Amino acid sequence: MNFELSEEQLLIQEMVREFAASEVAPIAAEIDRDHRFPEELIPKLAKLNLFGVPYPEELGGAGADNVSYVIVLEELARVCGSTPVIVSGHTSLGTWPIFEFGSPAQKEKYASKLASGTMLGAFALTEPGAGTDAAAGRTTAVLDGDEYVLNGSKIFITNGGYAGIYIVTAMTDPAAGTRGISAFIVEKDTPGFTVGEKEHKMGIKASSTTPLYFSDCRIPKDALLGKEGKGFKIAMAALDGGRIGIAAQALGIAQGALDASIAYAKERVQFGKPLAALQAIQWMLADMSTRIDASRLLVYRAAWNKDNGLPYGAEAAMAKLFASETATHVADRAIQIHGGYGYTESYPVERAYRDAKVTELYEGTSEVQRMVIAGSLLR
Amino acid sequence: MKIVVAYKWAPNPQDATVGAAGAVDWSRAKPAISEYDPVAVELARELADATGGEVIGLTAGAKGVDATMARKAALSRRFDRAVIVADDSLQGAGSTELAAVLAAAVRHIGDVDLVITGDSSVDVGGKMVPTVLAGQLGWPAVAEVSAVTGGAGSVRVERAIAGGTQVLEISGPAVLAASTDAAVPRLPGMKDILAATKKPVQTLTVAELGVPATGSTVTVKGTSRPDLKARKGQMIDAKDPAAAAAELVAALRGTGAL
Repeated sequence: MNFELSEEQLLIQEMVREFAASEVAPIAAEIDRDHRFPEELIPKLAKLNLFGVPYPEELGGAGADNVSYVIVLEELARVCGSTPVIVSGHTSLGTWPIFEFGSPAQKEKYASKLASGTMLGAFALTEPGAGTDAAAGRTTAVLDGDEYVLNGSKIFITNGGYAGIYIVTAMTDPAAGTRGISAFIVEKDTPGFTVGEKEHKMGIKASSTTPLYFSDCRIPKDALLGKEGKGFKIAMAALDGGRIGIAAQALGIAQGALDASIAYAKERVQFGKPLAALQAIQWMLADMSTRIDASRLLVYRAAWNKDNGLPYGAEAAMAKLFASETATHVADRAIQIHGGYGYTESYPVERAYRDAKVTELYEGTSEVQRMVIAGSLLR
Repeated sequence: MKIVVAYKWAPNPQDATVGAAGAVDWSRAKPAISEYDPVAVELARELADATGGEVIGLTAGAKGVDATMARKAALSRRFDRAVIVADDSLQGAGSTELAAVLAAAVRHIGDVDLVITGDSSVDVGGKMVPTVLAGQLGWPAVAEVSAVTGGAGSVRVERAIAGGTQVLEISGPAVLAASTDAAVPRLPGMKDILAATKKPVQTLTVAELGVPATGSTVTVKGTSRPDLKARKGQMIDAKDPAAAAAELVAALRGTGAL
């Protein structure tokens, strides 16, 4: 076994760490406070090829592996919980299905723009009445001549309003349950398609999360992604990979909270000595670090499995389950170490606490991850 | 146009610590491209891109400068290729010895139009190498360079001087030391990092360059921060601005500052 990152991965880590420190960290508190999508970061992220990390160079990507991809997300999340969601929502969910299931014409039209970051992607599965239970979705797609007609709505869509294309699931055969779900590529300015108001969330406030509305929205027949009835399979496969990204986001949030706690424990003096000299604080830091390291091993292993063509569904679920619960726990302990100051916006751990929670919810709740893991055990 | 950027593989100051007595501890600092050298790379790259030229990274030092990580880190900075003089005899080499080796390497590369360096190295900060290098080559040396344009055989150089900017026209080859703010260095992108391993590198030794071995005769005995005078911390109530101004002037006169 080899637990070392490659030299390229170390250089990528160093580069993203520097970028995050110089470009993301200075605005992280402000974009959170103002619920502002950081549009100015998009071209900067694109310039460093961070929107197409695991995609081939000839199709506009960086040509790196998935371990590098999770390193990128982890480093961004150390300073800002929102920015990695923009990248992972685009890369894992809005782009991957096109690379994996798109027709040659669809790849020709979208792959390069998405992988180079000149266009953002989004993914729309969740509906007001259908979260985990995707088969309860009510958005429909009816074939009418050379066009599908979409009607219905989606909710909680990352990058809503900023994406150029949306991978949208809809029922083409409502009686067939999940086998009646199909996936489509919907371009942002399609008549009949509108983006609703941004959600006001507890955390990751700079990430745009919106509903989508489809009212007799006509899209060309060739906007169908894969085959009719395969939409659920496409969505689940995308979420398997997406979960590695969310796990990496959770890992970074936790690491950022630990970094802040160590710095604070060294500088804050109580009873004539730094907090770091108190065993109660040392033990909290030790437990936080141990959980983070275990999370990192799970996250990198899931990404490594994907890179090496090995099954990664259960591994991704384990990584997301453990890393997300670690993130909420570590952020909680970080506030405890900071005391009353940690409860204020003056220190980043307050933001980490709010940002961490969503990692237990989206792209499958912790309960769904346990279902996936148990399913792999009891097959 | 053939442009050489002389860079240093030096300890990263972000990993250095300063002790209570002010001494800098570099022992845990991992090596990296010296802090100001990416500015030189940026100037060189812009000029080369404008003239269709190439940018060659050149460094000299003990064998660590040729480690694969050091090569990749350097070549990800958008050099077209690199020439590395890796020789343990250069461990602790001073400015004169280092400049002599770099000069020999520049001659070895041949037909070089410009050598651009950073302002100074982050660990030593002597600001001597560019000047000594130019002396070795018999070329003009210009420090504090803020901009460079032109092409092979003739370049227009702007340099910061006290209270203004001086414009120079240089015919023939030269050594330019970039000011720290001459350009905003770009971070290497993912593609730059992944492409680094595919770029050509030539590794040389001091003997291969025919430079006589000379040990450094200068030894650094210690580095510490200057003694700080205790601040008075005198506060002036500014409710009445005129009275506050008078009190400030009196206080400054009292210390002899005015």
